[in-house]
Amino acid sequence: MIRLEDVTFSYASSKPALSHVTLEISDGEFVAIIGENGAGKTTLVKHLNGLLKPESGRVLVCGVDSRETTVATLARKVGLVFQNPDHQLFAETVEKELAFALVNFGMPKEKVSEKVEWALEEFELKQYRSRSPFLLSGGERKRLALASVLCYDPEIVILDEPTTGQDSRQKHRLASLLKRLNEQGKTVLIVTHDIEFVSDYIPRVVVMSGGKLVADGPTGECLTRLELLERASLISPQLAEISWDLGLKSPSIDLDFVVAGINEMIRGLHG
Amino acid sequence: MKVLAGFDYRRGKTPIHKLDPRSKLVYLVLYSALTVYFKNPLILLLLFVSTIPIVSVGKIWGRWGISIKGSVFFISFIFIFNFIAQVLSGSTMADAVLSGISMSIRFVALISIFATFFLTTSPEELTQSMVQLKIPYDYALTFNMAMRFVPTLGKEAGHIMDAQKSRGLELEKGNLMTRIRNYIPVLIPLIISSFRRAELVADAMESRAFGASKKRTSLYVLTMGSNDYLFIAISALSFLLLLSLNLFAGIA
Amino acid sequence: MPIIEVQSLYYSYPGSKEPSLIDINFKANEGEFVVISGPSGCGKTTFCRALNGIIPVSYGGEFKGSVVVDGLETTKHQVYEIAQKVALVFQNPENQLFCTSVEREVAFGPENLALSREEIRCRVDEALEMVGISHLREKSPDELSGGEQQKVAIAALLTMRPKVLVLDEPTANLDPLSARSFLKLLARLNEEMGVTVLLVEHRLEMVSHLADRCVIFDGGKIVLDGPPREVLYSDTASRLGIGVPKAVLVAKRLKLQEITKAKPLTSWELADLVRGIKP
Repeated sequence: MIRLEDVTFSYASSKPALSHVTLEISDGEFVAIIGENGAGKTTLVKHLNGLLKPESGRVLVCGVDSRETTVATLARKVGLVFQNPDHQLFAETVEKELAFALVNFGMPKEKVSEKVEWALEEFELKQYRSRSPFLLSGGERKRLALASVLCYDPEIVILDEPTTGQDSRQKHRLASLLKRLNEQGKTVLIVTHDIEFVSDYIPRVVVMSGGKLVADGPTGECLTRLELLERASLISPQLAEISWDLGLKSPSIDLDFVVAGINEMIRGLHG
Repeated sequence: MKVLAGFDYRRGKTPIHKLDPRSKLVYLVLYSALTVYFKNPLILLLLFVSTIPIVSVGKIWGRWGISIKGSVFFISFIFIFNFIAQVLSGSTMADAVLSGISMSIRFVALISIFATFFLTTSPEELTQSMVQLKIPYDYALTFNMAMRFVPTLGKEAGHIMDAQKSRGLELEKGNLMTRIRNYIPVLIPLIISSFRRAELVADAMESRAFGASKKRTSLYVLTMGSNDYLFIAISALSFLLLLSLNLFAGIA
Repeated sequence: MPIIEVQSLYYSYPGSKEPSLIDINFKANEGEFVVISGPSGCGKTTFCRALNGIIPVSYGGEFKGSVVVDGLETTKHQVYEIAQKVALVFQNPENQLFCTSVEREVAFGPENLALSREEIRCRVDEALEMVGISHLREKSPDELSGGEQQKVAIAALLTMRPKVLVLDEPTANLDPLSARSFLKLLARLNEEMGVTVLLVEHRLEMVSHLADRCVIFDGGKIVLDGPPREVLYSDTASRLGIGVPKAVLVAKRLKLQEITKAKPLTSWELADLVRGIKP
């Protein structure tokens, strides 16, 4: 479980990047943190593996206060994958890249190779085993970066802007992977401003704006609140927009639901 | 590394900021030469004190102060090493102490002179003065780009460290050799992404007609004003005055 | 006469076994707004770089066929000559800005062209005004947001008075609001200045209604080319898994085409159609 209690944090001498944020995420949840650039999303997730420590308030991850432990200890439980794979890939081969975290966490040799094999298989990287990570395509590098964190089987998986520069098929693949991980019992958290990805795949959203948490709830509910979206400088999901433009009785971000709503409306026109 | 605060330029509108970089360059060269030339601690102290009016008019007390304070760390080193070297080469204790003091003041004076220059001179203007001093444009541009990408590189190093720490890398663990080795996963991505960036920047430059003409226009032209001539005159006169002290009064 | 004419273009990067572009035939008329899309790795980026001659001039590799821009064949001219016709905006906003201030950045191109100082000043002012970033003149690119950086990149190219703007996923790193405002800016430049726009973009829902034409790449080839409505409603588009606007999906599910013959691209077009359905 992740718990933030009244967390405030600011970078040197500027106004708070996080102010009085209280948030609870239970085990096995699938949550998106959304908000415009500078809303405090990345600052928030950096608190979850101890890269940043709160100025005031506390952060509890699996019952442990982040100030009383190290990043290396927390990272074992919280896998954080950053936006740009080029900020972490460095090893001579894909295989060694995957082993890096496992070795850092002091796993025995057999365990390391077992996990590496699993990741090569799971992320369709087998044919690149002994290739340099730098020779992979953009999409493959992104997959490798993700694999290099997931291979050590963290309980909580956090992805920062995982959909940047991805086409819709890649996004779909990513979504099914995350869903599978979630179904295996992992807590999955993504930070994004890709509102369509969130509305298509993720059940719960946390909306941030100017360092504050401004909404938290079921995605379908939050993303059909126009005043909230405007306040947080977000654009509306297309289906919500369609619902509003048509004046549907219950606006939705679900394709089936919207289609049904319009059909009903057309029937109404006919009747 | 607080000494580096002495290179952290911010925009300003003081008369010192407005001086032509070339006149400040004259000052920098002449005064640095004096500082290196003289050994007399009083003269060196005078040279140090002479930078204070510039700091005051240029309103750069803050970063100048940090830089000077930061240099204290180095001073103790310089003093000790110089002292040991002097004693070993057979000087008396008193001479060794005096020489250590001189070296230390010299160092602070140099830091101060350089800080006054870099804290009040924008990289752009410096590049421009390089162009006008007939240094080939490619060099000037390289210098300017280095200035432009230093903060970017710093940010990037931060991102990389965060990413690797998140994969369990502990930078502060182990003995000296291990610690150095710990930085490999940070340095490699930093170097590779710098190469990638260099390629992209080259593409961007080409796409903006870089190299289209041998005689490139420069939008900005630096011109010397009366303040510049005054500043150069004061610098030169005081330079000559101090040199003549050496020649006629034998103070070195 | 088309402003861009690409004939039987084939290209593979040096050392690469597979070609990145295969038999590309493409024309664009002056003033057209063309949006280009397709799965990652389909050759869009390579195509953009081939349009201003960096490919093959700076990259080498195997190049067959021809690219002619405003009468200039790219392989027979220097990149700086082509660059004055075709302006290329890159994906990463930060790496294409290399000067220490916005004004310097914007002046860099015309300085290279050795124009007179007055002319440069006039072009810089005009470009900053046009893009709406006059207030950022003194800033360092490092201090700007991604959206602002992309606007600076455009202004820096406009000062060379190009006829064509080619943009390679310029909004990929921007947040949605900045992306939307950037795309609107492009539509305005296209309309007011008549500059031809070739835009590579995944977010078709934001741009398809602004474009005159939509071109889809897949596996190094052009697989679809036509008006956005035709392309996005085609079976090929849905098979390729392109990010088709939701309004299209809804309209297809409602079988609107059978009722109204129209192909809406946006929520408002869809709404108007549905309301207009006569009993």
